[in-house]
Amino acid sequence: MSIVSVRDLTQRFKENIQPWIVPMAILVFWQASSRLGWLSSRILPEPLAVVKAGINLALSGELFRHIWISSLRASGGFFAGGGLGLLLGLLTGSFRRMEIVLDTSLQMIRNIPPLALIPLAILWFGIDETAKIFLISLGVFFVIYINTFHGIRSVDPALLEMGKSYGLKGWALYREIILPGALSSILVGVRYAFGFMWVILIVAETISAQEGIGYMTMNAREFLQTDVVLLGIILYAILGKLADMLARALERHWLKWNAACETT
Amino acid sequence: MGDGAMEKPFPRGKRLEGAGIRVRIDGLVKRFGGREVLRGLNLEIPPGEFVSIVGRSGCGKSTLLRLLAGLEDISSGTVDFDGSPPKNGYREDARIMFQDSRLLPWRTIVENTAIGLAGKKENVRACALDVLKQVGLADRADDWPGRLSGGQRQRVALARALIHRPRLLLLDEPLGALDALTRLEMQRLIENIWKRYEFTAVLVTHDVAEAVILGDRIVLIEDGLITFDEKVALPRPREYGQSEVAAIGRRALDRIMSVNSLNVRNQVKGKIVDIQLGQPLSEVVIEAAGGFIAATVSSRSLSEQPLELETEVLAFFKSNEVILAVNSGSE
Repeated sequence: MSIVSVRDLTQRFKENIQPWIVPMAILVFWQASSRLGWLSSRILPEPLAVVKAGINLALSGELFRHIWISSLRASGGFFAGGGLGLLLGLLTGSFRRMEIVLDTSLQMIRNIPPLALIPLAILWFGIDETAKIFLISLGVFFVIYINTFHGIRSVDPALLEMGKSYGLKGWALYREIILPGALSSILVGVRYAFGFMWVILIVAETISAQEGIGYMTMNAREFLQTDVVLLGIILYAILGKLADMLARALERHWLKWNAACETT
Repeated sequence: MGDGAMEKPFPRGKRLEGAGIRVRIDGLVKRFGGREVLRGLNLEIPPGEFVSIVGRSGCGKSTLLRLLAGLEDISSGTVDFDGSPPKNGYREDARIMFQDSRLLPWRTIVENTAIGLAGKKENVRACALDVLKQVGLADRADDWPGRLSGGQRQRVALARALIHRPRLLLLDEPLGALDALTRLEMQRLIENIWKRYEFTAVLVTHDVAEAVILGDRIVLIEDGLITFDEKVALPRPREYGQSEVAAIGRRALDRIMSVNSLNVRNQVKGKIVDIQLGQPLSEVVIEAAGGFIAATVSSRSLSEQPLELETEVLAFFKSNEVILAVNSGSE
């Protein structure tokens, strides 16, 4: 028994370590080639320099201000666009008439890439926060809308029939069957929306901003601070990963019944 | 939802006096598109009776049950419960149990059982636990349905129907997907619960033996009409092996399998000229006056009822399966 469990432990250790071997090797190689002068710091700063830049900016408090501002923009756009998308998706998904009135128009607008609206957004809202939040909302809106709509439409009709024949109607039917049935699809939308939200934020922030991670990197570019530029890119990666983890946590919480199915 | 009847707590083991509904069906017709599935069906079920409905697939037996449950609209004719027609076909003291359990995967067993039951949270849970105990699943109350076996899911579905104290329980092949042993167990459970609460029960099944074991009465539906209606006056519980059970089942089966039970239209007389054996289907070719007819039959039924070359047979087919084309090649 004990031999098996030791083997089991080393097996688990291997599984946890192995995915990190390649990234670590790249980092080491990168650091070494910078040190040996193969790689100019103008092109790519050494990893340690990026870490140092991060520490300096963190100590001055500037780093957290930028992260805070960027996160505010991202979440503001997400809640505005996502909330509206959820609401309209629920409406068009639940009421045939709303679908007839709204869906065609929404599908037409959906085909316009949100980033194509940047010039218009600047004309309408200036280079203020409003323009950025507008662009993010627009991108997030359709992802959530489409997934909510499809989620509601794909609720199992057999379950609906059961619910009705067991006396559920109106809000009770909605709460017990329609919403939970649509939830997994809605959460897929949330995950996609999180990803899309960062893409639009990055573009919007690099165009015009006085604060935020995008501003920080653009500013650093002017002064050839490649380490800060790289730091900004890494920050986007970390924030994106955090948002994805949040989405997964929501899925685990709300769809725990689903996990119960899979384990049997 | 807020109906007073539903808020009353589930009667703990109490016997309801005269609990069953009297069902009266008169000239019931159901059309889907242009096709008549039920063609003026008449049936009267006294309160508390357990009726088994059998028939080939597509004969209209499930449609009849769905009409009784109010899941479909009646094309013409009447359905009366206790002498008055149900409102919009829906009646809260009638409950249906489906072939698939239709449990909500996102609700626990106890929440699934209490679906549609109004009242205080603790009361509702107490009721649900009580019914779950009766179907032997109280210990799984807080599990997800995904963790249950097929038989356990059907027991939850039964509990979910019972919690509303139905006076008419409609069973749409609820045991069709279960393995043989679980089936026997469920039959016993349904019988015991029916005896205890004395509701009227209508069971649709394609298993004739099951129909005889559970039913006070066997009703055979063919082509949208009742063609066989026989009381089963055997003591309960009945067993599969019993000779009386087998005899009644045999009579119903003979009727189902006999030629005149099938649609009298579209019959073609002919002689078997070729038999191509295969697995699982075989082909039998019949020479009729107007040409050859190929019949695909399951090899199993062929081995049970062997056919020989040169035998005179009747070939018949459903009218909705005939394809017509203008014969442009003829002179």
